[in-house]
Amino acid sequence: MNEQQAVLFKDRQFGFYIYLFVESIMFATLFATYLIFTPSSGGPEPSEVFEANSVILSSIFLLSSSGTLIIAEKGLKHHQTAKIVVGIGVTLLLGLLFLSLEIHEFYKYAEEGYSIGVNNFLSSFYVLVGLHAAHVMFGICWMILLLIQYTRKIPYGLYTEKQSIFAYYWHFVDVIWVFIVILVYLPYLV
Amino acid sequence: MSIPFLNQLFSLPSDVISAWILTIIMGAFLTIYVFKKKKWPIIWQFMRTTNHRKIGTLYILFGILFFLRAGIDSLLIRTQLAVPNNDFWVFQGDKYNELFTTHGTMMIFFVAMPLLIGLMNVAVPLQIGARDLAFPFLNAVSFWLFLAGAILFNMSFFFNTAPNAGWTGYAPLSTEVFTPDVGNDYYVFGLQVSGLGTIFFAINMIVTIIRNRAPGMKLTRMPLFPWSSLITSFLMLIAFGVLSIALYLLMFDRMFGTAFFSGNEGSPVYWQHLFWIFGHPEVYILVLPAFGIFSDVISTFSKKRIFGYPAMVVSIALIGFLGFMVWAHHMFTVGLGPMANTFFAITTMLIAVPTGIKIFNWLFTIRGGVVRVTTPMLFALGFIPTFVMGGVTGVMLSVAAANFQYHDSHFVVAHFHYTIIGGTILGIFAGLYYWYPKITGKVLDDKLGKWHFWLFVIGFHLTFLPMHITGLEGMPRRVFTYQWSDGIFLLNLTSTIGAFLMGSSMLFLGWNIYKTHKYGLNTGNDPWNGRTLEWTVRSPSPEHPFEPMPVVREIDPYWYAKVNKRRIRTTANVRPAPISVNTILPVLFAFSLFVISIGMIYTWYWISVIGGTFTFLLLIVRFLNDERKAYYREEHSHE
Repeated sequence: MNEQQAVLFKDRQFGFYIYLFVESIMFATLFATYLIFTPSSGGPEPSEVFEANSVILSSIFLLSSSGTLIIAEKGLKHHQTAKIVVGIGVTLLLGLLFLSLEIHEFYKYAEEGYSIGVNNFLSSFYVLVGLHAAHVMFGICWMILLLIQYTRKIPYGLYTEKQSIFAYYWHFVDVIWVFIVILVYLPYLV
Repeated sequence: MSIPFLNQLFSLPSDVISAWILTIIMGAFLTIYVFKKKKWPIIWQFMRTTNHRKIGTLYILFGILFFLRAGIDSLLIRTQLAVPNNDFWVFQGDKYNELFTTHGTMMIFFVAMPLLIGLMNVAVPLQIGARDLAFPFLNAVSFWLFLAGAILFNMSFFFNTAPNAGWTGYAPLSTEVFTPDVGNDYYVFGLQVSGLGTIFFAINMIVTIIRNRAPGMKLTRMPLFPWSSLITSFLMLIAFGVLSIALYLLMFDRMFGTAFFSGNEGSPVYWQHLFWIFGHPEVYILVLPAFGIFSDVISTFSKKRIFGYPAMVVSIALIGFLGFMVWAHHMFTVGLGPMANTFFAITTMLIAVPTGIKIFNWLFTIRGGVVRVTTPMLFALGFIPTFVMGGVTGVMLSVAAANFQYHDSHFVVAHFHYTIIGGTILGIFAGLYYWYPKITGKVLDDKLGKWHFWLFVIGFHLTFLPMHITGLEGMPRRVFTYQWSDGIFLLNLTSTIGAFLMGSSMLFLGWNIYKTHKYGLNTGNDPWNGRTLEWTVRSPSPEHPFEPMPVVREIDPYWYAKVNKRRIRTTANVRPAPISVNTILPVLFAFSLFVISIGMIYTWYWISVIGGTFTFLLLIVRFLNDERKAYYREEHSHE
């Protein structure tokens, strides 16, 4: 990246930070909704619905995916293809594992009769955690495109930018998950 | 209208049929015009542009179009209310509910917002020495998303299912139980799609103002319109973030069996909180840019630097900040308790302080100045007393105890029209006349402009001044008729006459635009003897302005350069300009979201899936063919 490119990149970086700020406003509103409506006056309690195992497992997958992404970021500086490809690849894999666990969790809840309309605790749980899962899915598609881009040999400066912007997104999605664990699951699992 | 056919009575909505006929006739004329004058290339060019002036022009054009539609709504409302026990056309009961819902929603989201955003698009980059908005592509996406949302919202009327729960969409009325028709789904998706555009625009504006200013254009030297645009954009981020989640939850309530806002566990008041956490900052989003326009207009036409510049900036910021702490003053009668009501009453009253500071600073700017009463200045002069009246009734309404009397009466209707028309709409007109040369290269006729102003302002006061009294007499808003015995017939008739006067004033604006383009001469760079950077570039503004880039050393740099008979210093050492492109992707992207919305509204999910796939494909195309690729290749080859 030369100086001129760095200026344009900083525009993007700043714009994307603002975008993440808007996202955090949105998630904050959903957290508020969850806290207001949980536990509900009727219907299933959070403690009967949640299961510690699946939460712990999916947290491990998603949180470690932030770590593997840092490997890819480290690789950017010196253009180390191995670090970049492996870093992104493993992150992608962990994201997929997380997502399949989420889908499995939702599916199981629905099977047990805990579907979205049962009470307001479940409604606010699904709209919040579901939106987060949609973000993970979007991130997975993004990573696939990044890998395609990398093999297509676009200018390296441009690739660096694309991967950096993605990294902000992925770490943000991770932070939201931490809040979900603390505010949504933990009070009813401990 | 009911038609007997085969021994059955078919009721036909004659208002909808007339709208279809009118639209088809006008559409036919427009198509013939476009064919005859061979305007296709221009339309194609505007569909693919990312230039800030052109996108601003599109925003303004469509804002005016929707202004006409929402304005017709208001004339229908006033006709129905002209005499007691009126049975005008079909506009009683539910049709009247649709009428005030579409009037309110359109005026806020699809008239005031796009007109202001259009003016920001045109003027702000030129005022701060930016060569375009920071993300030209995203700017085009914002516009087309706005248009897609607006078209969605408008479509509902043509299928005779206009939304009818008020622009506030209060639950539980807006939930599936009470309004099962698709009308309010159109409301949800129309606002969601256009709101996304607004969020993108706000991001764009902030980055532009923070990072793309000319060398030496410190924040403390920036004109007040960019300042107010900057703070407005911050408000948009928060307000529209919350709105988008509120609509997301309402969507689940209406379509997927949740009950956030109704039923035993749900809370209708929660919707009110979410809506007003968006809705109150929204009214500052509408009025702050207008304040900025007035500041620049008053300073230019008084030939004086704005009085108390730092106080002006601080008061904009204070209004923006306090704007987030007053939302529950819309809910005094909900019963939140004396503590909450007191808190929100006091914060509301506090807002009068920075607003008062601004009013006095405008007056002190005019005082001792060399005042030229041109059309934009006339609108600014009309704004000051009008807005003060709206402010005074605002403070009256903020007294929580008294508010129980005013609540949901025509007194409130009078209040918010005094602030929104007296502030926002007059500001938009002032800005339109003021920057028209930068948009088109021609100055609008001053004499017709003055006709427009006087008819509009007299009509405005005739319409809304009597509403204070009818409101205090107890006339509720959103009710389609009243009785002779209420003794408010003459006041209502006056309002109706005033409304038609306002409507007719718009004909003068239309005639003015036509005349200016038919006979008007192209003007130079600086028709108003202006003070700020936008008057140093050609009219209409070129695609690549500021070559070479000016170096700013004070507030109102162009003015002081003219006074001291020197040229503005320029420099070749500038940051890279935003990369503009010609692309059809933004239109397609907005269209794909439109398709998703249609599928969702009618629960034809397979259409949504097709639309969603299309959206994803477009994102992939965009990701793989970014306009910076060519730019980076070029740079690469130098290394």
